[in-house]
Amino acid sequence: MGLYIHVPFCGSICSYCHFARTSVHDRSSREQYVDGVLAELALRGEKCRVLGDGMRPLDTAYFGGGTPSLLEPDLMRRLVTGTVGTFDPAPDFEFTAEANPESLTRELAEVWLDLGIERVSLGVQSLQDDVLRVLGRSCNSVMARQALKLACGIFPRVSADWILGPDLRIDYLLAELSEAADLGVEHFSLYILEIHQGTALQQDVRRGRLVLPGDELTERLYLAAGEHLEKLGIEQYEVANFSRPGAESRHNGNYWNGRPYLGLGPGAHGFWGRRRYANEADPDRWSEALASGRLPEAEVDPLDLPARRLERAILALRTCRGLPLDWLPAQTLDLEKGQAMGWWKVNGDRLILTRLGFLRVDGFEEALAGRILS
Amino acid sequence: MSFNREYTRNFCIIAHIDHGKSTLADRLLEVTGTLKGKELQEQVLDSMDLERERGITIKSHPIRMDYRDQEGKAWVLNLIDTPGHVDFHYEVSRSLAACEGALLVVDAVQGVQAQTINNMYLAIEHDLAIVPVINKIDLPAARPEYVQEQFIDLLGCDPDEIHMVSAKTGEGIPQLLEAIIAEVPAPVGDPSTQAKALIFDSIFDPYVGAVAYVRMFGGMIRKGQKIKLMSNDLQFEVGDLGWFRLDRIGQKSLEAGEVGYIATGAKDVRHIRVGDTITLAEDPCAEPWPGYAEAKPMVFSGLYPTDNDQYDDLLEALQKLQMNDASLSWEKESSAALGFGFRCGFLGLLHLEIIQERLEREYNLNLIATLPNVEYEVLLRDGSVERCENPALLPDAKDIQEIREPIVHASVITPKEFVGPVIQISLDRRGVQTKMEYLDTERVNIDFDLPLNELVVDYYDKLKSVTKGYASLDYEYRRHRADDLVRLDIVLNGDLVDALTCIVHRENAYSWGLKLCQKLKELIPRQMFAVAIQAAVGSRVLARTSVRPFRKNVTAKCYGGDISRKRKLLEKQKEGKKRMKQVGSVEIPQDAFLAVLKVER
Repeated sequence: MGLYIHVPFCGSICSYCHFARTSVHDRSSREQYVDGVLAELALRGEKCRVLGDGMRPLDTAYFGGGTPSLLEPDLMRRLVTGTVGTFDPAPDFEFTAEANPESLTRELAEVWLDLGIERVSLGVQSLQDDVLRVLGRSCNSVMARQALKLACGIFPRVSADWILGPDLRIDYLLAELSEAADLGVEHFSLYILEIHQGTALQQDVRRGRLVLPGDELTERLYLAAGEHLEKLGIEQYEVANFSRPGAESRHNGNYWNGRPYLGLGPGAHGFWGRRRYANEADPDRWSEALASGRLPEAEVDPLDLPARRLERAILALRTCRGLPLDWLPAQTLDLEKGQAMGWWKVNGDRLILTRLGFLRVDGFEEALAGRILS
Repeated sequence: MSFNREYTRNFCIIAHIDHGKSTLADRLLEVTGTLKGKELQEQVLDSMDLERERGITIKSHPIRMDYRDQEGKAWVLNLIDTPGHVDFHYEVSRSLAACEGALLVVDAVQGVQAQTINNMYLAIEHDLAIVPVINKIDLPAARPEYVQEQFIDLLGCDPDEIHMVSAKTGEGIPQLLEAIIAEVPAPVGDPSTQAKALIFDSIFDPYVGAVAYVRMFGGMIRKGQKIKLMSNDLQFEVGDLGWFRLDRIGQKSLEAGEVGYIATGAKDVRHIRVGDTITLAEDPCAEPWPGYAEAKPMVFSGLYPTDNDQYDDLLEALQKLQMNDASLSWEKESSAALGFGFRCGFLGLLHLEIIQERLEREYNLNLIATLPNVEYEVLLRDGSVERCENPALLPDAKDIQEIREPIVHASVITPKEFVGPVIQISLDRRGVQTKMEYLDTERVNIDFDLPLNELVVDYYDKLKSVTKGYASLDYEYRRHRADDLVRLDIVLNGDLVDALTCIVHRENAYSWGLKLCQKLKELIPRQMFAVAIQAAVGSRVLARTSVRPFRKNVTAKCYGGDISRKRKLLEKQKEGKKRMKQVGSVEIPQDAFLAVLKVER
């Protein structure tokens, strides 16, 4: 099983972010949060025998946010020992935490390593200062470079996020990716900037203060970055993820393979026993539920058979292992045409999207949904 | 109670939409004591939900009232409710023919409207006694003196002949009832001649078959007698006959002068045609009541189920609707773009809208309606003439000598400040002004000859918008006239979308094609590949544009394993897709088929 813990604290709010996060917090609210996560685990243990007995080994743990690197070392220690520490780790246990360049200090990194966090995912997003400003990041390129160096010096495995968004120059982007790879980053996540409702960026776009790159430019950025990484020996294994062979994120891989995972903390999601749940995103409501002994779930999604089939198909389609052809209902996609258009290859019994195909994956997913759900 | 012709009055109410006809009818029923307490819901005579909601009468519903006058004498008042819309001209004329008098109702705020005038002329043509009524005098904005002057101008009547009422509060209603018995003549008709009954409406009753609503003009018809329809010689036995309340009240006979119903037992309401004459099979009358005409559809539209599985349901629904609506016609049709459906004929745009809404609402169908169309006459080079109501089926251009389109006489009444814009939009739609006349110091009546095709597309909406809703419109078919018309096709990625084909004037083809392409570009969502949109006349492409392929938001982070969000989005999109049609390789939203209606010229 996998374990995801959401740490909702941020120093400042990035303009594009729509995740569960807050920039209003202090020592006592962070303590309260850690207590809350431990209480949630205990509560879930009471409700679920397998979890309570610790019978199931932990394959992966992932601390995401928000900004896990904002938790003080002592609080992080309590959180890790009180959660991850209560399970039996699988032999190849993978433990990742996300960090922001500006809050990852040498001291903190050493504590994390000591706690067993051997993989860090650094939210770099860009090394162009103007781009960082648009994204509302509170670090600049100098701090980001320092953090990359520090992380690569301490952690055995380092991943970095990049965003393909406004004002990005292709030549700069490729140079940045090379620079990071040279420093030792073994895994990259490339996200195409999405505008979400209620974000500052949405306001900027609506008021015309920000012009998003056109589809054509976005497509060129994505294709060029993918090709470039591949030349560096960093291969694509999912629509947004690239790694050196063997360095794939196993935690994310488990999401895509439909393995169970437990989510703790505000806004965390879990998949357990054929149901998906989403926790209350608001930290106060999440705490209140726990204080009154209730599971802090805002939404529970019992998956019926068509829903499970659709999920497994779209998740497989997004990976480079591809979609087994026998999961593909008849007449959903025209296999010959897609190959001729360069959208996918058919390899044995699997349909595998090319990068060009990944750029159209939404359309293919819609086609799948149309057939599988009908 | 035996029938006493001297103490019977048959009348109708004519009014523009919203001028309070149905409310006035309600009040008459209440004041005469015909309906009591809980029977009184608003607009009782409008039986369909749709009628109540839209405030219009679609199906006329007669009712018989017993009235005791101020001297204590007993009267029978038959109110024949008339359909209140321009589409139902012929039906209105048959209802008027069944009466001796008409209450001409005008809203005290809005004053005389185009339909009021046209129906008034119609009533005068039928030699009806006209009782002018100004309604809604309780409203703060009422201008009864102003409307009174309009009436005096129109009818040449005296101010004290005009009745001021409020159907809402009941003010003036007792006086109005007295006026009806004083001013409307007793019904004509000699009970000793051969039976002659004019059908002014018909309905289908699942228990007794087709029921004719009739006005007896001669003789007598008894229950059980054999009757004959004069237009088609069909014979039926009278299963039941009688008078109207909210329900039908059976009697032994109906005689000259009376209004009532005759249950014929006919299985098909189309056999019992409005305007036809019923007589006795054994002893028929010599001549039918004049003025019979077959209901002639003026506007056509293809109706297609969005989901092909609903085809049979749509067929069944149309059959059911037709049972009660002889003016609805349809035939099976198939479209490359839309699959199997029906080409339906309607009396007018409102009729189309009503049928479409009833199909969607009462029969739970999801429909795509194509651009409303008219019936063209096509003169071929070999001298033959074909009728064509589906542009996609227009014969090959090289075989066509000329295309003739229906022209209507349209009558617009507008406040004078909008005369300019009204003339402008009419000329833009190839209208020819035939008359302009000031009705009073504020209002102008302008008549146009206008191609019906232009009228059905957007004329009415446009008229309402340029006159801020103040203008009113009435129209009537005149003739077919040849013009330089061409067929404009829309082609998506090389596939002709037959449902978007239209017939336009050659001079407008380019601008119309261009605008249509642009509108489609807005409406067709980005797809996996580019979509080329072209407008063409024959092989000549007039306009082209394209929708670029869709390629955004594909790397959405499956944040913390939030896979439900992604799946739910897909489920939602799938729902949206239900309203999409696949044409060749392109998916077209249903809106696109209506978009042609909304293209600004």
